[in-house]
Amino acid sequence: MDNQLEFARSVVEMAHSCGASEAEAACSISDRFSVEARAQVITKLEQSTGKTLHLRVFVDGRKATLATSDFEPSHLQAAIAQLIAGARHVAKDAYNVLPEPVAVDEAELELYSSELAARDPQVKIDEVRTLERRIREIDERIQNSNGSHVGDSITNVSLANSRGFSGEYRATRASRGSSPVATDGSDKRTGSYGTAARKLSEMESIDGVAQTAVKRTVELFGARKPPTMRVPVIFERDVAASVLSDLFAALSAGNIAIGNSWLTDRLGDQIGSSLATIIDDGRMVGALGSAPFDGEGVPTQRTTIFEAGKLRSFLFDTYYARKLGAVSTGNSTGGGVGPNNFYLKAGSQSARDLIASTKRGVFVVDTIGFATEHASGTYSRGARGFCIQNGELAYPIDEFTIASTFGDMLAGMDGVANDLRFDGAVVSPTFRVAEMTISGG
Amino acid sequence: MLDPSLFQRLIAKALQHGGDYADIFCERRIASSFRLQDGQIHESGLAVTQGVGIRVIIGESAGYGYSDDLSYEALERAAAVASLIARGGSSGRQAVALSSTPILALYDEHRDVHAPSEAYVNLLERADTAARSFDPRVVAVNATISDELQDVWIASSDGRLVHDHRPLVTLGVQVVTKKNSERGHGFVGDGGRTSIGFYDSRSPESIAQDAARISTTNLEAVDAPAGEMEMIVGSGGGGVLLHEAVGHGLESDFNRQGVSLYSGRVGERVANELVTIYDDGNLRNERGSLSVDDEGNPGQHKVLVENGILRGYMQDHLNGALMGVPSTGSGRRQSFRAMPQPRMCNTYMPSGQSTPDEIIASTKRGIYAKTFAGGQVEISKGDFVFMVAEGYLVEDGKITAPVKNATIVGNGPEVMTRVVAVGNDSRLASGHYTCGKGGQYVPVGVGMPTLKISAITVGGSSLG
Repeated sequence: MDNQLEFARSVVEMAHSCGASEAEAACSISDRFSVEARAQVITKLEQSTGKTLHLRVFVDGRKATLATSDFEPSHLQAAIAQLIAGARHVAKDAYNVLPEPVAVDEAELELYSSELAARDPQVKIDEVRTLERRIREIDERIQNSNGSHVGDSITNVSLANSRGFSGEYRATRASRGSSPVATDGSDKRTGSYGTAARKLSEMESIDGVAQTAVKRTVELFGARKPPTMRVPVIFERDVAASVLSDLFAALSAGNIAIGNSWLTDRLGDQIGSSLATIIDDGRMVGALGSAPFDGEGVPTQRTTIFEAGKLRSFLFDTYYARKLGAVSTGNSTGGGVGPNNFYLKAGSQSARDLIASTKRGVFVVDTIGFATEHASGTYSRGARGFCIQNGELAYPIDEFTIASTFGDMLAGMDGVANDLRFDGAVVSPTFRVAEMTISGG
Repeated sequence: MLDPSLFQRLIAKALQHGGDYADIFCERRIASSFRLQDGQIHESGLAVTQGVGIRVIIGESAGYGYSDDLSYEALERAAAVASLIARGGSSGRQAVALSSTPILALYDEHRDVHAPSEAYVNLLERADTAARSFDPRVVAVNATISDELQDVWIASSDGRLVHDHRPLVTLGVQVVTKKNSERGHGFVGDGGRTSIGFYDSRSPESIAQDAARISTTNLEAVDAPAGEMEMIVGSGGGGVLLHEAVGHGLESDFNRQGVSLYSGRVGERVANELVTIYDDGNLRNERGSLSVDDEGNPGQHKVLVENGILRGYMQDHLNGALMGVPSTGSGRRQSFRAMPQPRMCNTYMPSGQSTPDEIIASTKRGIYAKTFAGGQVEISKGDFVFMVAEGYLVEDGKITAPVKNATIVGNGPEVMTRVVAVGNDSRLASGHYTCGKGGQYVPVGVGMPTLKISAITVGGSSLG
C-alpha cells in the first residue's frame, strides 16, 4: 500500500463519521517468505503479502473491535456500521479511553535490516537444503526428518487514533530451524530447534542450529523413567523461557483486575529469591520484542517486575492501568496485555557450573503440556531430561512430570546461569530451583 | 464469490510450469462475538477473514501463494508464486473443466446474517447470573460467545468446484472462586456447527453451573498424588486422551514420512481388543464435522482402530496421493493463509460393556480424570501429557477427594495395551475443543466412554 499511515487515518475518520466518539486504527502489512525441505526435496515454498486492520472504537465509553483483511472501502464502511451497532449493547465503562498522545522517542531501535529484506530467495532455498544435509552429516542416526525451514518477513505497522496520534515503523524477522528424526535400533526420536533474529548478523549460524537440533534429537536415547522424588531441578535455557512465558499471565493486569491471578494483592511482597529479577523491556536495540510504541501508541519502556524477588509491578495497558490506578507500561497488544522483551536477569556462572554444583537432581531439557494455572499458581508439566548425580548428567530420563507452584519456584531459585540470549521475545538463562516433585515410576 | 471462469483461469496459470495438481481455496468468514466481565458486557467484536490461497503440488512438493486482495492481478500473482514449485517440470498440464459439485450439508442452520445482538447478550447475562448464584465463593465470571459463518469455495484441477457454508457457535464460561488465599478455576464451553438455537436445549445456565462446579471443586481439592496408579478416564471429555495418545499418530503426513510410530503398521495390533477408535467428520452439527473438508472432499466416518487392530490413517490429498489412497476428507486448514494438513474431525471411542459404577468399584487406588484441560503428544515415540481439569481420588472402589494440580504422563501405544475396561456410556464432549498443529488451529470434537487404564504416571506434588 502506498500510504499505509494515511489509510489508518482515513479509517479513524470513517469510524468517527459513523458515530464513534473515539477510534484507533492499526494497520499491519507483511511480506512473508518461507521454504521447507526434507532431505534435498523442497517440500513447501510460500510467498505472500498479508494485511490486517485492527480498529477499536469507543462509543460513549462502550467498546467494540474489528479485525479485518477486507479493505474494500464499501465493505469496510459496512463493517464499521455493524461494529458501532454492536457497541450499543456494551456497558459504558469510564476506563474506556484512548491514551493521550505522547511523542514517540525517536531512538533508533534497529528493527529493520535492509540486508535481510533484500536477500535472494535462492539463498534461502540453498540454506534450507544445507540444514537438511548438515543434520545428516552430524550424526549417522539421523536418516529422516520432519523437515527444516527458513523464513523471513518484512512488516510495516501504522497506527493512528482520534486523539491525534500517528506513528509507524517497519521491522524484519528471519528464522531458521530443523526437526530431525533419529533411529537407533527400534527406538525412534524426534527433536527440533529453531532460532530467530531481526538481522542476519545476529542470527545463530546454520551449523549451530543443525548441531543443537541433532543434539536435542539424539541425547535422550535410552531414556528411562526416574524414580518419584523431591530434588533440585535445573531448567535449560529454552525450557526456562517457557516457564517465564507461563508466569506472564499471572502478571498481566487483565488477570490481576479480576482476581484471576495468584499474584493479586501481592505487590511489594518478597516472593522470589534474591536471584529472581525479571524485567520487561520494549526498548532493547534490535531485539525481537522491541517496538517504539505498543498496540495503542503508548511508548514502550523498561519495567522491573521482580527486583531481587520483590514484586515491583504488573504489566498494564491503558485500560487496566486506569482501572487499577496505575500507569500503562506500554504492554498493550491492541486487544490485551502482552510481553515486550520479557526475561530473567542473567547470573554469573555457566550452566555447566550450575550442573556441577548439584549433587543430586534433574536437568530438564524439554517440557510438554500447557495449562492455565495463573489463578492457582500451580505448575505441572511432563518433562524430559537427565538425572544429575554428583554434579554430572548421569543418564537420560523421560515419561515423568515435575510439579510445584510458581511461588515456590521463584522462592526456591538458587542458581541462575549466564547463558541468556535474546532470540525470542520471552527468554531466560538456565536456572535452578532448590526443590520440586518429580513423578516417575 | 468469484466467477468460476476466473477460477479456471487461475488454475491454468498455477499449472503454467507443470505440476500434478492445483487447487484454489477462497474464503469469507465473519465472526461476531460478545464478552462479559464483571457482570457487564465488556466488549463486542467483529472479525472478517477474506482471501484466496492457491496451491500447486508436484510429487511431495507444494508451492503456495495467498492474497487478501481479490483483484485479478493480485490473484494471478499468487498463482504465479505457487507455480514456481514446478519450474523445470513438464509443462502444460491441462486442468479438467470445473463443474459444480453438490454436497450434503451437515449443518441445520443456513443463514446470511447473524442473530440480533440482544440474543447474544441475553445468553451471556443468563450464564453470569447462574454462575454467581451457584456459590458465594464465586469472585469472577468471564463469559464469551462467538458466532461465526465461514463460506468457502474450493476449485481443483481435477474439475471440482465446491461451496460450503459453515456455521460455528461457541459459548464459554470461566469461573474464578476464592476461599482465604486459595483460588479455584473452572472453564466449560459448548457449541457446534449450528446457530445459537443450540442454547435452547443446552442452556447457558447449565454451562455456567458446570464451570462453577469445577471451580469450587478445585477450591476444595487436595494436591494430586505423585507416582504410578490406576486411572479412570471420564466419558466425553476424556476423549482428549484418544486425540493425543493415538489420533495425531494416525495423521497421514507423519506416516508417509515414516515419522510416526504407527508408520507402516496398518493391519497390525496396536492396542488391546477392547479398543476401537473412530474419527468422524459426518456427525450432524458437531464442532469437528465438515460437509466437505478444506480440499473439497466429503467428510467421512473413518475406522482408525478396530478391536485393537490399526485399520487406516486420516488422509489429505497430498499425502493420500503419495501413499496411493484417496483422501478421507481430512484435509483441513486454519484459513486461506495456510496450506491444508491431515487433521482429525470428531475422534471418539464407541461404548463397551462395563457400567461406570462397576469401573469405579473395581479400582483400588487411582485417579478419576473426569475432564482434561489440554494435552500434547510427541509423534515418534507417542509420549503424551495431559492436564486434569477436574479430577478425583479413587480409594477402595469409592470416589473420595477432589485433586488439583494433576498431570498425567504416558506413552500412547503402551496405554492402549493397558485398557482394562470400557464403559457403556460413550458420548461426545461438550463442543469447545481446538486442536493445534504446525501453528494452525482448527475446531475438533472428542468423545469417550468411561475407561479404565491399569497403570499410568500421575504427576502431582504430594508424595504421601
